[in-house]
Amino acid sequence: MVKNVLLVDDDAEMLRMLQEGFAVHADAFTVLTAGDGAEALDRLMRHNVSLVVTDLKMPRMDGFELLAAIMEGYPDIPVIIMSGFSAPGIESMARRGGAVGFIAKPFMIDALAQQILLMLRKEAEGGTLHNVSTGMFLQLIEMEQKTCTIRLVNQASGKTGVLFFMEGALFDARSGAIQGERAATEIFAWEHVSLSIQNGCTVREKRIRKELNLLILDAMRRKDEGDAAMGGGHGTAPSAADSPLQRLCARISDALGAPCGLGDVLQSSDWNGRVKRISHCGERLNLGRLTRGYVDTGDARDYILVPAESGAVVAVSPGVPRDKLMQLLVE
Amino acid sequence: MREVFAGLLAVDGVKGVLFFSPAGDLLFEEFTINAATRPLVRDWRALLDAAAGFREAELLFEKGRIYLRDAGEGTLMVATGLIAPSAMIRLNCDILIPSLKQLKSAKGLRRFFRR
Repeated sequence: MVKNVLLVDDDAEMLRMLQEGFAVHADAFTVLTAGDGAEALDRLMRHNVSLVVTDLKMPRMDGFELLAAIMEGYPDIPVIIMSGFSAPGIESMARRGGAVGFIAKPFMIDALAQQILLMLRKEAEGGTLHNVSTGMFLQLIEMEQKTCTIRLVNQASGKTGVLFFMEGALFDARSGAIQGERAATEIFAWEHVSLSIQNGCTVREKRIRKELNLLILDAMRRKDEGDAAMGGGHGTAPSAADSPLQRLCARISDALGAPCGLGDVLQSSDWNGRVKRISHCGERLNLGRLTRGYVDTGDARDYILVPAESGAVVAVSPGVPRDKLMQLLVE
Repeated sequence: MREVFAGLLAVDGVKGVLFFSPAGDLLFEEFTINAATRPLVRDWRALLDAAAGFREAELLFEKGRIYLRDAGEGTLMVATGLIAPSAMIRLNCDILIPSLKQLKSAKGLRRFFRR
């Protein structure tokens, strides 16, 4: 996956030279440019940027202001400062502000290129996967209680997104200009993605309150409605309380608290067929249609059957208080 | 061998108990409801087939519930009304399943259950 590096400098000649110098690394990264901090923020909003290299002295918004804005809105994107300032303490000030690298002007283009390549390698240090089903993979991250930053590319549309996990909890998400739960819902609606995992998570504020499986349910609903097929859009995320499955999961989460043991939602033709057969048997036995079910198949997980949702089943931890759960299923 | 299932049949809300062999033969059935309104055995067997591979299941239907339990020596099905003490039913099954195993090891289940 070729990454985007954003170079920010008001010196157009400098930008041109760097662009030409970096052409030999075109297989590793491509270069985007901006003339000042404000223009750089606009680029960040429109493109998936892996690294920013910025000058300090610029009109409108200088390098320090840009650094602060990146730390606020894009804390996962590393920033390298390049500066001709000779005043002592500039480098330590930049590092205190969050910069991961500093290079004093004048410098050899290859020296900066090596810093860039080093940083870009870190972005995928935890591995890269292609053609992955998003929901399953992310629930694995949750189960493994990983702290990581995951960058995803939707294989269908080419759209990109970032997810931030802290000890298995989804802290934040970003896709284009949107963040938080809306971004997570959009990303989860992507059916097949390529992703890279970076160990560590720079986000400290938990913007996402909803449980991961509920967000995935929201995303599934979007997909069912065909939103994903139209490119995902940036519309408002659908309400969590619309479908029977979502209502049920929300009710269980509310009643049992988090973590309530709910796992991933499975919608396979196998389960669908089986749920239909059981429901049909119920009618033959004068019991009416199947409304809910709790099944232990001997796997590590048990399952809640939700016939109203095309035979969907929700995996659930066997440790969940069964009687309380059954009571919720009946209500 | 009704005694084995007596405790289970006495639980409030239980309308019937069925026990099938692993091959799907009905080894025991008893209902607390009128025989004329009982479903056919083949319909219970169809449910048994649909639930193949389930170790335990609580199935909620519009007008009643079925508790299904793999007992090793066969499958137990407990039919109840919509409101039933499921924990009590599970407990009764926990208690009676070892008795089924003992019966089988002693003389063979088929000899003790009404067909």
